[in-house]
Amino acid sequence: MNLQEKLNILGDAAKYDVSCSSSGSSRGAPKGGLGSGCSAGICHTWSADGRCISLLKVLFSNACKYDCAYCINRRSNDIPRATFTPRELIDLTLEFYRRNYIEGLFLSSAVVGSPDATMEKLVYVAKELRTVHRFGGYIHLKAIPGASPRLLYEAGLYADRSSVNVEIPSDRQLQYLAPEKNYESIFRPMNFLAERKLEYSAGKRSRYTPKFLPAGQSTQMIVGASGESDLQILRLSAGFYHQQRMKRVYFSGYIPVNADKRLPALTTKPPLLREHRLYQADWLMRFYHFGHEEILDESNPNLDPDLDPKAMWALRHPEFFPIDLQTADYEMILRVPGIGVKSAQLIVSGRRFCKIRLEQLKKMGVVLKRAKYFIFNPDVPANLRRLYPEMLRPLLIARPKPAQLDFFSQLQAPSLPAPAQLSIAV
Amino acid sequence: MSLSISYDSSFDGFLSVVFETYRQRLDVGDIVPERPYDSDVTPSVDLFMQPFHVETNADSASRLRRAVVNMAGEDVLNLLETAFRSEERGVEMKILAYLRVLFSKSDPGFARNPTSSEMLPLFLLARAVRHEAGGMLGMVRFNKAPDGSYIAEIEPKYDILEMIVGHFRGRFPNGRWAIVDVKRCYGAFYDGRHTEILDLPDTDTLSRSIAEKAPPDEFTRMWKSYYDTMAIKERLNPRLLRRCLPVRYWKHLHERQQNLAGPASRPTA
Repeated sequence: MNLQEKLNILGDAAKYDVSCSSSGSSRGAPKGGLGSGCSAGICHTWSADGRCISLLKVLFSNACKYDCAYCINRRSNDIPRATFTPRELIDLTLEFYRRNYIEGLFLSSAVVGSPDATMEKLVYVAKELRTVHRFGGYIHLKAIPGASPRLLYEAGLYADRSSVNVEIPSDRQLQYLAPEKNYESIFRPMNFLAERKLEYSAGKRSRYTPKFLPAGQSTQMIVGASGESDLQILRLSAGFYHQQRMKRVYFSGYIPVNADKRLPALTTKPPLLREHRLYQADWLMRFYHFGHEEILDESNPNLDPDLDPKAMWALRHPEFFPIDLQTADYEMILRVPGIGVKSAQLIVSGRRFCKIRLEQLKKMGVVLKRAKYFIFNPDVPANLRRLYPEMLRPLLIARPKPAQLDFFSQLQAPSLPAPAQLSIAV
Repeated sequence: MSLSISYDSSFDGFLSVVFETYRQRLDVGDIVPERPYDSDVTPSVDLFMQPFHVETNADSASRLRRAVVNMAGEDVLNLLETAFRSEERGVEMKILAYLRVLFSKSDPGFARNPTSSEMLPLFLLARAVRHEAGGMLGMVRFNKAPDGSYIAEIEPKYDILEMIVGHFRGRFPNGRWAIVDVKRCYGAFYDGRHTEILDLPDTDTLSRSIAEKAPPDEFTRMWKSYYDTMAIKERLNPRLLRRCLPVRYWKHLHERQQNLAGPASRPTA
């Protein structure tokens, strides 16, 4: 098997991992080496499904000994299996990096032999890259559940970011779908890495202080494979942000890759809209100072498919609106639907000097279509200032495009019962 | 009769124009750059304006720079220069309008206010230029030449080559590489120690000679096939792709080309 075939098999096996970010770690090129870290992260290209590609995302091997129902690489699937040698993988990373195709390496692996044996290979590749080749680019290492603390610690010294995927948002469902895994085995490496990172960042720091996972940790959950509500998912991810100090929690709409009676049928469409709404809620928690309990609660445990979570919150809390952009707090301006972080900052820095008018808001990029119902502004017509949530909701929902009726598809799927069935009924 | 002032399209040249408008009390109708590469965009002669040319003068440009820094600060000068890099039609008049209000000292808070009607368009333009420069950091594609150097061609919408060179010098400090803006016909060349900005011959011969010198190799093909496998076919989303990666960049991205043999081949959706 040549290198290109291996790369295709192992890239194909890794593509369901959502994490792609290369942010959070800033570093110059090591002396005599190449590669730097850019703290904002750099996207290098976008694949045909619109997801960004910034790291060479591959598995070290896809010959897995586990049999998780949702995973394409599970033991019982009949797919081509391949394993890189460390040499091949390092060469590939460096050659791609020199051509500026990638920002670094995202290395994950199926569990081959034991978790420790697998983790050792991943750490070996990272160590060679950092020490022998003096590679300063980004390295994301997957922490294999069940690996020993010694190896995890070593991974943290060489990698920028590490991740352990939760995959299924509740322990019971996880044990049902992946019999070899449970929450304990997933949370242990996560907590271990979070504690070591805390230890490293405590105390006085200089630029010679060695770094431990400078870009922190991330994790991923599959949405729509098991019956969790959005509230459960958001609560779990809020916990990750607060307790494990995660940098990102990714959501991946379930794509049926295996026929398994424990999972939705193979013809299920991936729940892309739900995934999108969850990301919107995630953004509200990370950049808009929202708490997860503000976005959803027990009485409405799921996000509204028609309306984004911020507009949903605004409609449930009419007592805060309309707000005056000239005097309101920055946190309050952030909560207006249609105003984002950049516009809010621009408003706050500009209002010290002049009145903010509606046409300026438009030029700043504020979505007035939504914002105009929630702000108190001399330019806003008086009839928009006090609208009840019930009246507002239909105004905020994007009107569906009228669909062109198709004559032939109607013919192929008759809605009337067939004549044979009719005769039986008689 | 107002003047249609032409200058050599550099930022110093533009600052000289502003300096001269104040010194000679010119009645400015329009400021037009003389760019060799977009001759087709140059507007026809305006019958209601008198043509006038201002030579670039480094001394008057530096005096004006100092004045802007004193009045508004280093970051505003930086912002004006970034907005100027957009090469957008009429950006000169927008900057002039801003400077007029700034130097009139009519409003004490004017220099720091990003939402004034003179500043906001420049602010947004500078943001767009910075956005493209940031995106271009990932979209430069080097090809390896047989002598071990790396060459990339780019064709950005704005003139951002000088803004991204520092990033690559920090990233590949030991290699020899060149990034060439084939639309504006100049390139940055790094020899392992210093960067040099050089003007080059016209676009067609330039991209042909680069393609001959550094053709795509087996790693380019591996990258292309890796890129194709990464797309999840259940999630195909051409609109999102176009929004994130506008079609105008595809020409120089190997992974978006159907046929890798000819680097200048037209990309298809």
